[in-house]
Amino acid sequence: MANISIRNVHKNYGALNVLKPFSLEISDGEFIVLVGPSGCGKSTMLKILAGLEPASGGEIRLGETDVTDLAPGDRDIAMVFQNYALYPHLTVAQNIGFGLRMRGMSKTDIDARVREAARTLAVESYLQRRPKDLSGGQRQRVALGRAIVREPRAFLMDEPLSNLDAKLRVHMRAEIGALHKRVGVTTVYVTHDQVEAMTMADRVVIMRDGIIQQIADPDTLFNAPANLFVAGFIGSPGMNFLSADLSAAGDRPTVDVFGQKVDVSNHHLNGATKLIAGLRPEHINLGEGPVTFKVTPTLVESLGSEKYVYFDDAKHQVARASETDEDNSKGLIARLAHTGHMAEGQELTLSFDPAHLYLFDAETEQAL
Amino acid sequence: MYQTTPQKIRLYAGVAIVCAILVFPIYWLFVTALSTTAELKALPPSFWPEVAQWGTFAKVWGERPILHWLMNSTLAAAGSVTLSMIVSVLAGYSLSRFRVRGGNELGLFILTAKMLPATLLVIPLFSIFRNVGLIGSIWSLVIAHSTLIIPFTTWMLKGYFDTIPRELEQAAMVDGCSPMGAMVRVILPVATPGLAATALYAFVLSWADYAYARTFLINAQDNWTANLGITTMKGEYVTDWNEISAAAVFVAIPILLIYMFLERYLVGGLTAGAEK
Repeated sequence: MANISIRNVHKNYGALNVLKPFSLEISDGEFIVLVGPSGCGKSTMLKILAGLEPASGGEIRLGETDVTDLAPGDRDIAMVFQNYALYPHLTVAQNIGFGLRMRGMSKTDIDARVREAARTLAVESYLQRRPKDLSGGQRQRVALGRAIVREPRAFLMDEPLSNLDAKLRVHMRAEIGALHKRVGVTTVYVTHDQVEAMTMADRVVIMRDGIIQQIADPDTLFNAPANLFVAGFIGSPGMNFLSADLSAAGDRPTVDVFGQKVDVSNHHLNGATKLIAGLRPEHINLGEGPVTFKVTPTLVESLGSEKYVYFDDAKHQVARASETDEDNSKGLIARLAHTGHMAEGQELTLSFDPAHLYLFDAETEQAL
Repeated sequence: MYQTTPQKIRLYAGVAIVCAILVFPIYWLFVTALSTTAELKALPPSFWPEVAQWGTFAKVWGERPILHWLMNSTLAAAGSVTLSMIVSVLAGYSLSRFRVRGGNELGLFILTAKMLPATLLVIPLFSIFRNVGLIGSIWSLVIAHSTLIIPFTTWMLKGYFDTIPRELEQAAMVDGCSPMGAMVRVILPVATPGLAATALYAFVLSWADYAYARTFLINAQDNWTANLGITTMKGEYVTDWNEISAAAVFVAIPILLIYMFLERYLVGGLTAGAEK
């Protein structure tokens, strides 16, 4: 096991800069998740870490060793790939033991280590099968087995759950979490799924267009997003954004949200004049409250224990950069814990607590 | 997909016609070999000899050095396949995996070489082989056949390597292999069906050659290949077509055996299970 130190690593393809200078200190045994939309540079960073892509500049240290220019096999890391990358011509036992064989370990020791890894991941009964005879979940376990059997200093995982169905994904997510707690190896995990990131990580690194947006633990990301992108990316459904006109009531600054003046004196406005207000769907309540407003739902989705209520405020709604146009076109959303009947077109009274209102500078997109 | 009876009849009739067209030349080869000279000249032709002349096979085998010709053909084909596969595996893998400046143009240039007709290359090749003393040697055929085979097999193998996920060799490299080790230990075993199909193609191309053998080996009777040998059975005034056909059957047998041996490798799907 080892800490990982990434200093100013960047990657260019000719004039195209796909990864801006990236620096990150990962503690020994920490579970770090790199998350972001497609093309944000997270997989590139992982491949650079693995040695599968050369960095255009910067330094990577694994423990005390500078591994920047070392071959992948000399870095003492293990990697789990999105498509498992099991060797189809080898049995499960040979797949798991391949890395040990490459390191010249004796057959007896390989057998013992393979059996131990297989027992840990409950794949003992498939050892003589080939990958094509296994289900998706079993293949995923074998891929994990191939990683843990070498007892590497770090695990790298590149969207290892994205090929599994929803139910199996939740199950394997818990298994990987439990495995990490058991073996305690420093892990860098890449995903585009914010739920995976939030549930598994000690710390999450949110990336966009090759730039780190925020590095924080899941609760901090949710409660104190650094900017508009992080606020919209973290949370499901995503945060509602509204353009908010700044005015003053006496000496206290206020913003106009859903036609109501809301006191924002607890925010540091830093001279910003154009503001965007953010309100999480789960912070909107049914009925009257500190700030009350009326809406007419355009769509109601029932999840049994709760309802997603969509409504329009086209004049003020600001699209989320992390969402598709189709998702943004659904309008604003409230997540209401309500099991009773609700219908589209039937006016509703909603409210929110101003303490839950987020403010962003419309120009810099930074949180205020 | 469900098919009605008339649809099935049309489908099977179509398959039967195509099969008949493909199989007829082989059938006619056998019939010719088993017929007497008189039957061959008869009009209308008979589609099966009255008395099958199995003795023609024994006569040809006994009177002509068929085995020697076959050995020469095998040597030339095996040499061509070995040389071509070594070059085209490395070239195809490089074209598939490495992005280098001018790589695409180089690939297209290699393919262009395949478009040159064999007869166009025969003159410069003859000149080169004469200068280096290879005229009359089996090696002249090995090299000449390789010039024809390598461009096409390189592209065949590039196409096959393209279908193998890069993550396989990346996983092997993380497991401790060098790039060459990953290719040898992981990619080549996975590519066995592609390699088998390519090797078979190369073998058939070399086996079927006549033009190069005729040009480079005509004065070296000891090194005649089967195809060249058979053509010498054609007389100036009289030609025993039944004997030539019997010899042709002997020449076809090794190819059939190789097909049967490689058939299990030709079936794709070995990569099943590598991915999701």
